Amino acid sequence: MGALAHYLEDEGIPTTQISLIREQTEFIRPPRALWVPFELGRPLGMPENADLQNKVLMSALMLLEAAEGPLLADFPDTDGTPPSAADTESAVWACPINLQAASEGETDSEKLLSAFKREIASLRPWYDLSFERRGRTALGLFKPDTTSNLLASYASGKPTEIPIENLSLAVALRLAAHDLKAFYFEAAIARPGTALPDSAAFNKWFWNETAAGQILKAVKTKCMNEEDKALRMTGAALLVPLGQT
Amino acid sequence: MARLDQMPEPMRSHLKKLPCPSFDKHSWVSGPELRKRRVAIISTAGLHRRGDRPFEGMTGDYRVIPGDISARDLVMTHISTNFDRTGFQQDWNVVFPLDRLKELAANGTIGSVAAYHYSFMGATDPAAMESGIRDIAGFLKGDRVDAAILVPV
Repeated sequence: MGALAHYLEDEGIPTTQISLIREQTEFIRPPRALWVPFELGRPLGMPENADLQNKVLMSALMLLEAAEGPLLADFPDTDGTPPSAADTESAVWACPINLQAASEGETDSEKLLSAFKREIASLRPWYDLSFERRGRTALGLFKPDTTSNLLASYASGKPTEIPIENLSLAVALRLAAHDLKAFYFEAAIARPGTALPDSAAFNKWFWNETAAGQILKAVKTKCMNEEDKALRMTGAALLVPLGQT
Repeated sequence: MARLDQMPEPMRSHLKKLPCPSFDKHSWVSGPELRKRRVAIISTAGLHRRGDRPFEGMTGDYRVIPGDISARDLVMTHISTNFDRTGFQQDWNVVFPLDRLKELAANGTIGSVAAYHYSFMGATDPAAMESGIRDIAGFLKGDRVDAAILVPV
C-alpha cells in the first residue's frame, strides 16, 4: 500500500493512507499514514459503526493538512472500540444446523457430501431472506447452488464443469470457496436468535462445525495432489486460512 | 492488533515475507485545504464491479470503480484467505468508505468525491503495480482529484 503512495506522490497526486501493519509502513515510509489497531480485513474499524468509520477517515484525511512528512500517526488503541476478534477468546457463538441422520451404508466421503448438501438446503432459505432484506450479497461470482455443486463435484472426484467461460479450475475453486463462506455467513446471521458473530467465532464455527469446512479441507488436499501447478498453489495457500488444519 | 510482534504464527512469518520495498526518493505534494479537496479511494482489497473480471493472481492489474456504484454491485475477489471478510459482508464501508466520503462532501468537510475510484489486489509485488498506478495518476488528474486515500485490507 505504501509503495502506491510513493508512486502517486511522484506523479503529483497528494496521498494519505490507512496502515494495518505498522512495521511495513515504518519501513516503506509513505508520505502520510494512519496506523489503525484493527484486524486485517477491517481498515475502517467496525461494520455498521459510522461514527468510528468517520473518525478513522477524518484522522487519515487530516494528515493532508500537515506541513511536512513523512508522517505515521496512530489511531487511538483505546477509543472505546471493542477489541478485535483475533485478540480475544471469542465469545461462544453457535449456529446449530439440524441435520437428518446419514443414510446407512454410506462411505465416510459420501456421508460428508450428504451432510454438505443437507447443510446447504437448511441454510438456503435464510440466505434468500438475508438477500431480500439487505438487498445485497457478498457472493462475488456464483449462485449458491453453483458454488456448492462445483466444490462437491471436485471433492468427490467427479468431472468438474467450470461454470464460467475463460476461468481456470484453480481460480474457479478459489472463488467458489470464498463465495461458500459468504453464503454461510449471510445465512447464519439471518437466523432469529443468532447473535452476530465476530470473525473469530464465525471461523471457529465454519471450520470446525460445518460439513462445508470439511469439504473445503478435502478440496485443499485434492488440489495439493494435482499435477497442475496453479491447482497445487491454490490448495497450498488459497482455500483454507493459515493455522486451520 | 496488526503489529507483527503480536500476531500468532504462522501469520506473522507469512506477513514478514511479503515484498516490502524501500524508497530513496520521498516525494511530498501539498494541496489546498481539506474542504476544497476532491478525494478518490485507492483500495488494495481486490474490489471490482459485479460482472467485471475477478482478480486471478498477483499480476499488478487494477479495476475501475465508478463513483456512483452501490454496495450491491461491489464484490471482492482478493486471493488471500487470511483476512476477515465478514466486516465487508456486513458493511462495505469497513473496506471501501464511499458512503462516509459522500457524507463528508455533503457537509462541506471535503470539497467533493471523485467520479472514479480504483482497486488493486494487495499482497502483489509493488513493482508489478507501478505501471498501473502511474496510469491511474493520470486518470486522477483528469478527474481533478487532489487527494487520494489509500485503503489496505
